[in-house]
Amino acid sequence: MPAIIEPPPGPQEPLPPLWKRLAWFVGLAVAASGATLIVAYGLRALLK
Amino acid sequence: MDFDALLLSRLQFAFTIAFHIIFPSFTIGLASYLAVLEGLWLTTRNEAFKTLYLFWIKIFALSFGMGVVSGVVMSYQLGTNWSVFSAVASPVIGPLFAYEVLTAFFLEASFLGVMLFGWKKVGPGLHFAATTLVAVGTVISAFWIIAANSWMQYPEGFTTLADGTLRATDFWQVVFTRTFPERLTHMLLAAYLTTALEVGGASAWRLLRNAADPESRIALRMAIGMFAIVAPLQLFVGDLSGKEVMEVQPAKLAAIEAFWETRTEQPFHVAAWPDRAIEGNRWELSIPRLGSWITAGDAQAEVKGLKDFPPEDRPPVAIVFWAFRVMVGLGVAMIGLGAWGVWLIWRSGGPERHPLYLRAAILMSPMGFVAVIAGWIVAEVGRQPWVITGVLRTRDAVSPIGAGEVSASLLAFMVVYAIVFSVGVLYILRLIAEGPRPVPAQDTEPPLKPRPPGYALGAAPDDPEGGPR
Repeated sequence: MPAIIEPPPGPQEPLPPLWKRLAWFVGLAVAASGATLIVAYGLRALLK
Repeated sequence: MDFDALLLSRLQFAFTIAFHIIFPSFTIGLASYLAVLEGLWLTTRNEAFKTLYLFWIKIFALSFGMGVVSGVVMSYQLGTNWSVFSAVASPVIGPLFAYEVLTAFFLEASFLGVMLFGWKKVGPGLHFAATTLVAVGTVISAFWIIAANSWMQYPEGFTTLADGTLRATDFWQVVFTRTFPERLTHMLLAAYLTTALEVGGASAWRLLRNAADPESRIALRMAIGMFAIVAPLQLFVGDLSGKEVMEVQPAKLAAIEAFWETRTEQPFHVAAWPDRAIEGNRWELSIPRLGSWITAGDAQAEVKGLKDFPPEDRPPVAIVFWAFRVMVGLGVAMIGLGAWGVWLIWRSGGPERHPLYLRAAILMSPMGFVAVIAGWIVAEVGRQPWVITGVLRTRDAVSPIGAGEVSASLLAFMVVYAIVFSVGVLYILRLIAEGPRPVPAQDTEPPLKPRPPGYALGAAPDDPEGGPR
């Protein structure tokens, strides 16, 4: 089973191109923010 | 509203915040520690730093999750149990909590995803940026929460409207109140010390079993460095904070020191049994004149005693007095642990060869949490009978609810917290006991490709050093 928490790439492992790394960086950040937003607004909706 | 509901609401808030404060005080320090570990790995390529990072990030993720869950409860309670406080004060401090969510929590939540799931995807540089942003987020979070609490300790920059509610007249004065800089610094240093004690204790635990464990040796030395530098600095900042308290909350300071009479040459009570019923200490062990010197910087200085304040404006004394001594006593023990550790590194080949030191580090590992909780008791019980000093009394801030309702919710909290947090804390302790393990090669390298049928070297053994695959 792969590790849930992703370890760093190995020393010989080639990195993806910069545009792809930046896209993952922004994508993961936005997805995490989105998940937080959904939980936050969901909780607020429960109060109404 | 009856007294029982007030007392139960206070107990419920104290119970939930005592649980909650454990996690942020750990994650604030741990996030910075992770950023330091990753930065050191990037600059030195020493695999021990990477192994330590991958070990502590699991504990960080768990603690962060439990901190968020227990923190949500706090904000809900402001509405359910302290609705009058919310109605009166939210126009002033509501935005501070909102900014905490918008600037800090979202920053942490966003980049925690990159931290946990994106190392290979974003590469080492961007991953380090994510770790650093999460660490910055935890500090920003502490900034807003301490700003709100400092305003409650010493409110400034507001006005009271005819209906009794408050409005901010100067937003930045609300944020940067007089006691805020020292209190924020004190809290952040407390968080760093708490984390260093955990890291040091966990490393000592493993070194007792294997004194040659390279990761634990490095981690223990890093923790000792933190004790040696941050613990004395904390004593200095705490003293500055105490001197501010004497200026702006003299009744709290009198309770901290169990001073009843206003006088010059106040003694320092090492131990005492303060009793509000007799307006004095039933017994005390004191050092003459030291109290004035510690609190005012001059052994001849006049320092106010509790009798200068009407009985209804005095905080509980014994709990504040003893909580302060627990906090300071543990702080002094942390300084001692740091000095002892530096001595062992400098003169006797390293602390890992000294089981007595390792046992002391293990014993001290939960004491950061105890000191943080004791410090919060000093701050919050010392502010009583006010919820906002001089503006709103705690008894007037509670919701119009009955004791039965609060009893039920308090009982529910106790049961749920006992189950959820026991499981969480036990799991963290199990992870700590297992210790950091170097990442196996198969986790850091791409999976081997299957050999095609008829491949010429099909019978050759696998060679991880670059031979046929």
